[in-house]
This record gives sequence, structure tokens and C-alpha cells, in this order.
Amino acid sequence: MATTTAEPTDGVAVGRDVTRIDAFAKVTGEALFAGDLRVPGMLHGRILRSPYAHARIVRVDASGAAALPGVVAVLIGDDLPALSRHPNYGHALKDRPLIAVGTVRFVGEPVVAVAAESPAIADEALTLIDVEYEELPAVVRINDALAEGAIHLHDTAHLQSGLFHGLGELNLQPGNVCYHHAFARGDADALFAAADVVVEGEYEFPAVYQYAMEPHTTVAAWVGRDELHVWSSCQHPFLVRAELADVFGLPVGNVRVTVPFLGGGFGSKSYTKMEPVTCALARKAKRPVRIANFVDESMVTTRRHGMKAWMRTAARADGTLLAREAKAWFDTGAYADNGPRVVATGADAAPGPYRWQAVKVDAWGVYTNTSPAGSYRAFGATHLQWCGELQVDEIGRRCGLDALQMREKNLLRPGEEVRPGGRPLDADLVGDIQRVAAGLEWGTPKPPHVGRGMSVGLLAAGAHPVSTAVVRLEADGTATLLVSSTEVGQGARTVFAQIVAEELQLPVGSVRVPGGDTQITPYDRSTGASRSTTLAGMAVLRAARDVRAQLLSIASRVFDLPEAALEVRAAAVWHEGEAQPFPDLIKAHFGMVGGELIGRGEVRPDKGSGSYAEGPVFWEVCIGGVELAVDPRTGKIDVRKAVSVADVGRAINPRMVVAQEMGGAMQGLGNALYEEMLFDDTGTLLNATLYDYHVPTIEDLPGAFVSNVVENEDGPGPYGAKGVGEGALAGVAAAVATALADAGVTVDALPATPERVWRALQRNGESAHAGGTPEGEDGR
Amino acid sequence: MPAETLPTTGLARTTLRCRVNGQPVALEIGVHEILLDVLRDRLDLTGTKRSCDVQVCGACTVLLDGRPVSSCCTLAVEADGTNVETIEGMAGPDGLHPIQQAFVDRNGFQCGYCTPGFVLTTKALLADNPAPSRAEIEHALGGNLCRCTGYWNILSAVEDAARRLAGDETGGADGDDHR
Amino acid sequence: MLAPFSLHRPERLTDAAALLREHGDDAAVYAGGTELVVILKDRLTEFGHLVDIKRIPGLDGIAAEDGALRIGALATHRAIERSPLVRERLPELAALEANVANVRVRSAGTLGGNLCFAEPHSDPATLLVALGATLTLVSADGERSVPAEGFFTGLMSTARRPDEILTDILAPLPGPATGVAYERFKIHERPSASVAAVVRLAGGTVAEARVVVGSVGERPERMLAAEALLIGRAPSPTLAAEAAARVRREIEPTVDAFESTDYKRQLAAVLAEAAIVRAAEAAANGAMRHAG
Repeated sequence: MATTTAEPTDGVAVGRDVTRIDAFAKVTGEALFAGDLRVPGMLHGRILRSPYAHARIVRVDASGAAALPGVVAVLIGDDLPALSRHPNYGHALKDRPLIAVGTVRFVGEPVVAVAAESPAIADEALTLIDVEYEELPAVVRINDALAEGAIHLHDTAHLQSGLFHGLGELNLQPGNVCYHHAFARGDADALFAAADVVVEGEYEFPAVYQYAMEPHTTVAAWVGRDELHVWSSCQHPFLVRAELADVFGLPVGNVRVTVPFLGGGFGSKSYTKMEPVTCALARKAKRPVRIANFVDESMVTTRRHGMKAWMRTAARADGTLLAREAKAWFDTGAYADNGPRVVATGADAAPGPYRWQAVKVDAWGVYTNTSPAGSYRAFGATHLQWCGELQVDEIGRRCGLDALQMREKNLLRPGEEVRPGGRPLDADLVGDIQRVAAGLEWGTPKPPHVGRGMSVGLLAAGAHPVSTAVVRLEADGTATLLVSSTEVGQGARTVFAQIVAEELQLPVGSVRVPGGDTQITPYDRSTGASRSTTLAGMAVLRAARDVRAQLLSIASRVFDLPEAALEVRAAAVWHEGEAQPFPDLIKAHFGMVGGELIGRGEVRPDKGSGSYAEGPVFWEVCIGGVELAVDPRTGKIDVRKAVSVADVGRAINPRMVVAQEMGGAMQGLGNALYEEMLFDDTGTLLNATLYDYHVPTIEDLPGAFVSNVVENEDGPGPYGAKGVGEGALAGVAAAVATALADAGVTVDALPATPERVWRALQRNGESAHAGGTPEGEDGR
Repeated sequence: MPAETLPTTGLARTTLRCRVNGQPVALEIGVHEILLDVLRDRLDLTGTKRSCDVQVCGACTVLLDGRPVSSCCTLAVEADGTNVETIEGMAGPDGLHPIQQAFVDRNGFQCGYCTPGFVLTTKALLADNPAPSRAEIEHALGGNLCRCTGYWNILSAVEDAARRLAGDETGGADGDDHR
Repeated sequence: MLAPFSLHRPERLTDAAALLREHGDDAAVYAGGTELVVILKDRLTEFGHLVDIKRIPGLDGIAAEDGALRIGALATHRAIERSPLVRERLPELAALEANVANVRVRSAGTLGGNLCFAEPHSDPATLLVALGATLTLVSADGERSVPAEGFFTGLMSTARRPDEILTDILAPLPGPATGVAYERFKIHERPSASVAAVVRLAGGTVAEARVVVGSVGERPERMLAAEALLIGRAPSPTLAAEAAARVRREIEPTVDAFESTDYKRQLAAVLAEAAIVRAAEAAANGAMRHAG
């Protein structure tokens, strides 16, 4: 059973459970995804990937492939100088080659790309390529990469910065660290020395795959020598456009990125992924090319960072939190991708939203010879929230306070500083956590082996506050909204249509929202960090209001009345009982049937540069509660209930808010209980299929799900809205850890697999062994 | 339609004769071709999706004579002589199939990539068990992955669809809404 | 993308056997395809010839005969799950088949294919070894019977020669005082551990016991020490726990990255205890009903 407190509210469109505008297309199979597109003359690209984690490419013999009938082009690293301006790309650091040049740095790195008339021919061609490698020492684990004398993956001191990472000078030293983020305030050492209670621990978080159902897919077509059209499953078309323009040395306007429906993203399609290699292959082939990853290829294209952390927390005997210190190392794999931002966000999440007298946090991004890691929903918070929340609960146990009391006592209040120079707290965390407690029936008796846990954290959300939108009110009175936020499944197009409908008092069905296309739809920075409703939504609101103002101005002339005497309602401008429908006003304006009203809206930083340090746009509340039961004999966990709180300011579509919570919570359970990419000592991913990598199914649903939607209209977005989508993941994952601790199982590594739980119980001496005590550990 | 008998010398290619969404199809194929590729690349029925490619996720589900199969791991020759149903065949001239309408009304999708597979699996389930319990729905849909919805709205859509197919056109006004 | 091959669709068993004899290692028997097509797509294995046996009549039947169920190799998991005969006479097998993989695999995959592939996590293999089933193999030379226990020779290998076709599985039906139980533990797509127990009681003590652990080792393994311990003793939770302790020692888990061997031993022991308890209860109930 799932329950929710969300209630539809006022507004003709806003606050209502409007049916998604993409519903028909998606239930009929008509919705087109990148892999469904056919471009005339399109070839099929396939990629030969490295079997080694680190090796020098001695020789590539692709003559057999090139000679195969139907093969049009074979691309290797040596071709790049003739095809691109830069051999490398990368959001934070230009460290990732379009296709391997001389060296491979992870198992699965593209070495040769083939374009052929059919997928079958391309497959066949791959079998005819001979690559000679000279293996190099590889560093597969974080500790290996940081060890003295470890080989360096990159000449870090000479890496160029990416175009738009917004993190300032990276100042890299030679070694395998691609980013270091640190902050400290207060005298942590003194507070720890004098504290009544200190809790300390080491933690590990796994590498996990975002598992968007649609693997990365790109179609690239060159138009003449210097224009490029790309259709891609990407979340951030304008960042992809900029990066492709940079790589191929083109003006940005010469690169057109069109984004069809995305089959999920969750960060896996953030920034630039398969686009550069596809474009280079198409340039060499002089024909359009599609590269559609298989899922095992996508799993080594991007993933979530694995992490190791150390953390300690100091408190007074009465449970007052004093200081926290944390160090965290994030495994970014062979290329930085968005790693530096993940590191910064993780560091920010480490203290947790409490009143600290001192905090000291250091976080590093570390290169290893594994597949690259980048964004995944609620990055940073998911990594570290659970560690901090376990320590808060442990302090509570030692001080005689329960988890709710600890949080009521120590949580930040609205308006308090979260970090110096950044946005103060814009949420009622105590109210939120009390809702979690109510959902869990906190304090009621529970059976043996059952644990209840809660967690709360903050995620710096919104990314960079630059968005634009255009509303075209057509001569027939219907509207077309041009906006470049990507419909990844979150419902962005529907929410935007609701905002336009509300502002123009149109039926939602009269608002058309096509997909992003950088040649047509105006600039939006990105689709991620829970920013679309808040930022792009505000640009949409302003564009709609621009049209509304034009309508009132025209109507004022038509009625010969001041605008203040007019009202916009039911697709018309009214004066008392008299209406001028929009088509009539547009006709009046142009003097004939035709024309359109064009409204524009934009969002810019209110102050400063919109940099990461000055942000965030809003604090996303990452909060959750879990009740679970542990089978002490097998360690298997049964999640009896999950609770989420969506502190969204204003729910533009309450049902879709709850849908985000449901999906985020389920991913939180997946991350906390099942999912872990296992790399062996050679850097090979051992569980690259769903046989061994378990994504939660409907059979893994918790017994019940309770979702609370909190609307305090305290967000910076339209109607007081703030984003949603990430908080439940981090909050529920951390609540699994705290609930387990409540059940007597302390895990210091996620996911809490049955075996880890069983081992933790054994350490506690609480396991009931079937048939006597087990044999000694015989390892894996 | 009688299935074509191949000579015992074996064939590398054959003519696939079947009905796809009610329409007769005759297509020259290699016997090693995969049903998913034939549907998507030869018949342009791109509603059927490839995802896990190892018949775990259900995104490629189609019905052969009403039976759900993973088209990503099914030889196209298996469709010979069968009635193949894909998502494109679900809606009729009068609009959406009640199962599709239930997924729309209950918000039982987000990105939509897994949705065709869920809709077809639901069709097979309800043909077999018109009033499934929550446990029976979970068992039947346990082989279909959705990464977006967290499944609650899908569960709700299937229950709703069952009620609609049983004759309640509204899907049950006071049915359990799993939102 | 699969490598090209020739597809044969014989309509007589003798023709199929002749084709396999002719093409030797270059031919594979093809039925449901749920296992074979996946490995062909990987292109780690290639065959020049696929011999589709689905057009041979009579290989998909399910019938009771002389104290046993004869299940045709082409019977799908779904057909077995739904067979009224299996549900009535061997409900544990019907329940097991209802949980093999997913609804698509169950509707296409056959019992024979599952057994011949000998994937170590096979559910039916474990139960059929415990039941003492017999497998019929046919080749151009004729027919032979192989006990299920001897059929699985190692990791994905069986006693079936490349030119033989598995035609049916004869599963003895449990007598009135015999109980059958199958337990498994699954967190991934395939079980981490599975245990089948068959217990026959006579005069209140265990007269016969077969305990088989699947998924943990390279093939279903009989736990002979655990079985020996049970014989002659009155069933009780304590006895089951003692037998489970023997299973823990006796089983030889495969080493892999997913679970440690000592955890696999734990799972095998927990499942064995549960399976033995349940099988013994079923046996006692059956004996009582029979007596009453």
C-alpha cells in the first residue's frame, strides 16, 4: 500500500494532477527515442573495446575489417588529428580521448570504431581487428592509486580544464588526484579533545550503475564540412553542443543537438558521453552514423563513484552536536567526467544539516584504472549522508536520546547558515523529520529483528542558474513552448505545459512542448540537480507572463480600457462580461489572420556569478524513513515500510512529485541493499549483466510506502516551488543504514547485502546458526 | 496458416510468414536473425525496446499467440505461423486499449522505455488471470524492470486495468490508488 | 548479432538423431532457445547447425505411469507449472517451475533444455536429482537411461553426448509416507543456494532420505553424510539441524565474486534445515492420511 498527503490544490493547471502530455505517445510505443530514429544514409557504428585496464597500444591492424564488404569506415586514435581539433574531451578536465590514443586506461575503453551498412557487418568487422597491447601496471582500487610509487594515469599537471565545470582553478599536482575539495571552520581539534562523546568510523560506498533502461545512443550527421547535426540521448544538449564545437573546432551555432525522448537518465546521460566518438566516426565515414550502446557498454561508459571515507563526530553528554570531521576519497575511474563536482557535493553533504561549532572536511577525486564515474542522482549526498547519520544515531544511543530527539535538538532551523557564503537553509527540517517519524509510527513497539531508521540531509541543488524559454502564442490561440530541458521521464514537459496553461489560462492540452533542439529551442544549462521545475520553470513562467503582458496590452487597445480593468481567463481577455479570445487579439494586433505573439523568459543568477560556491539555488532536502526486518540466519532484509518527505515548496503536479519520490526511494533501496559494480583485480567488471547486477523489481517493493508532500512555498521557483527527484534516493538509502543499526546490525559498507548483514550479526555474536557454528572464514 | 517445413538439409534463410498486429507479413530472413531486430529494423515497429539483452528486463516483450517472450533472445523464425502482438497493435480504432488507458490514468510510466513491455506483459497476465492479487501481479511482472516509477503506479495501473476489463469503465473510482 | 547457421527442423526423432550424428560438435539441439540463443549472441560459442526438435511430436507430454511422472523434454516450465497432473501429484515441482526465471523464460524455455544446459543454478535439476529421476537419451544408436544424479557431470557439462537428444524425464512419484521440499535463496536473477529434500518415513523414523544442494557448487550435489545421519532417526527440528550442520561441512562451494564460500555454506545449511523439516512434515502428514 502506498499513501500520500499530496492533495491537488487551486489553479486551473498548477497544483493539479494533470495527465502527462507525453502519456499517449508512451503507452502506444509512438514515443521516439534516439535508437528509433532513422537518418537517410545512416550507418551503424560498433566499438572494439580494451580488454586491459592499462596498456600501451602497440599496433592496430584493422585492414581485415576495412576490407569487409559493407564496412565504410574504421576509426582509430591515429585518425584524430585529421578529424578533430582536440583528441580529448571532458566536462571538468579534458582527459578523455574520443577514442584511445596510444594508451588504454580501463577495461572497456573504445579502441577502434567501425561504421558499416548494417549492425551485423559492423559486428563481423570487429572480429577482424587485431590489436597488440603492451600491458602496463594498473591501479584498480583507490588505495592502490594513492600508494607511494603508484603509476600515474594522467599527466595531471598539464591537463586542460573543461569548459564549464564552475569549480574555479583545479590546480592539480602530479599524481592520481583529479580534484581536492576542503573546507574548515571552527576549532575542530579543540572540540574533539574536549568532547564528552566521540564517534568515529570508516565507510565504503559502492560503484553503482545508474541503469537507465535506454543505453546511450547517438546519431551523428555532418552537413558539409563544418556543420554537425547530432541526435542523442543526452540530458544537457547545450553543454554537449559546446563540447562538440570545442572538440571539432566549430562555432557553437554550427553544431545542432536534437534530443528525443530519453529512456531515463539519472545522471548517466549528463554531459558528453558517446557523442564525440560518434561524430568522429561519421566524419571519417562521410555518412551519418548511429552508435547504440549495448547495456554492458553503457555500464563502462559511466557509473556512480565508489567511495571510501573516514568520519568522526563530537558531542556533549546531553547529545548536543559539536564538531564533525570527514575525509572521503571518490573513485572517478580512468577519466574525471563530472568527478570534481561529485567530490565537492559529497564534501558539502558530509557535515549534515546540523548546528556545528566546527567542521573540517577533505574530499578527493581519485583516478583508477576502472570505468569512468560521473553523475548519478543525488550524488554526494547518497555517498556520505548515511555515514553521518549513523554517527548521529550512535551518539544518541550513548547519550540516551533517540534518533528523533537527536534531530529535533540539533537540526538547523530555516534561515540558518548551512555553509559560509552560501544560501541559508530554506526548509523546515524539524517539521519534515517529524513527518517521517509519524510515517514510521515512531515509538510504537516493534517485533524482534525489526529496526526503524530515519535520516535527513541536504543536497546542493539547482546547478547553474541560467535558463531561457520562449512561448509562442499561435494565431489559433494555442501555445508552443520552446525550452531545452530534457524530458528524461521526470515529467518536465508536462510541468512546463502546466505553468504556461496557468499563466495564459489555457487548457493544458493547448500547450505543445516539443523536445530540445539547440537550433530551435533556447539555451538551458542542463537537466539535472533537480533544477528543471525551479529554473527552467521560472524561465517558462516569465516567457508566459511576457505573452500575457502583450495580450493585455493589445486588449487594452481593443477595449480602449486600462489594463487594470482587464482579466485573463478561459483563453481570452475579459472586461466584465465581454471576452476577446486570444485569436481575435492576435488578429487585431497583426491586422489580419496570422502572426504570433512571442514571449521570452530567462533566469540568471540574482547576484554573483552563479558559481558553485555562491549557491546553491536551493537546498534539496534528502530525507527518508525505513522500517525493516532482518532474517538473522541469512541476513536477508525485508523492507516493511519506506517513508519519504518531498519538501517541494509548491507541488505543481502533486502526483508527479510523489512519482519522483516513489522512483527515488526505490533507487535508494537498490543502492543501499543490492547494487554494486564488482571489479576484479584486473579491473574487469564482473557483473555487467542483469544476471548478476540486481536492479530492484516490483517483487522488491517495500510492504508500504508513505510519501509526504510539504508545500511551504519557500522555494525560488515558480509559485514558490523547488525541485524534487533526488532527495528520496539519498534519504531512503541512509535510512536503511540507520534502521539496520536500530535492528542491531552495524554495516560500514553498502550495499547491505545479506552476506554483509550476516557477517555484521556474526561480529555481534547474534546470529543463530543453522546446524552449529560455521567453519572458519575461507574467504571469497 | 501452416508453418513452412524446412528440408532436413537445413536452411540459412527462409520466409517468415506470420501475422503482426493482425496484418499478414511475409519476409525473407536469415534463420539466425533475432525477432527484436526484425521487428525494429525490418518492420519499423520501434515500440519494442532493447535494454538488458539477456531476457531479464522485459523491455523487448512481445506476445506470440498471446505468450510473452523476450524478443531480444528469440529467433525470428519462432514467430513463423504465429500471431505477433507488439505495442503498436494494442490501441484500436476507438482509442487506447483499457490497459493503456489505465497506465495513462494511473501515471504508470515515466520515461516510457519499459512501458510497452509492461503493457504487453499485463495483457498476457490479465488474459490468464482476470482478477490478480497484488502478489500475483508482482509475480507476473517480476521480470519487467522499471527504473523510474518505483513500481507503485504500475501496480495501481494493472489493478485498474483488471477492473476496466471486468467491465468497470472507470477502473474503479475508489480503487486503491498507490500514489 | 548471431553468427549465421543452418536451421534443421526434423519431424522425426530418428531424423534429428541422424542430423546430430552427421554434424557432431558443429550441431546444437535447439528447443526453447532461452539458454542457447543467449550464448550464441555472445559469440563465445558458434554452431554451424541448429537442430530444432520442436516439430517432433510427442516430446512435450506430461503423463503419469507406474508410480512416476513422465515429462517430455519439450514441456515448457509454464506447461509443467500449470499441469493439473503435476500440481496434484508433484506439487513441489509445479511450485518450483512457477518460479523459474520470469514469465517469458517460463513460456519458452523447456525442462529438457534447462537440464541439458546444466547451468549450476538450475532449480529443476536440484529437485530432480533429489527425486531420483531418470533421463532418457536417444541417439542414432538407440536409447539409454541415465539417472539425474549421474547426468550432471560438472559445470555446465552433462553425460549427454553431442549426438544424443534428451527425450523425457521420468520422475518417481513420492509414496504416501514420502515428503518432498524445495527451498532456495535468491537475491540476484539466479538463486544463490537451493536445497531439495526427499524424506520417506517408516514406523516413525526416516527410512530413506535424499538431500541435494544446488546453485552452490558446480552441479547439484547429494549430501551423503547428511542423508546417512537422517536414516533410522525420528524426524525432529534437532535432527534437521544436525543434518544441516553436515551439509555445511559437506558442500563444496564454487568460489566467485558474489558470495564467500562460508556464507554459501551458511545458506546451504539454513535451506537444508528448512527443506528437511518441511519434507519430514509432509511425509508424516502423508503417512497419517494414508493410515487414516
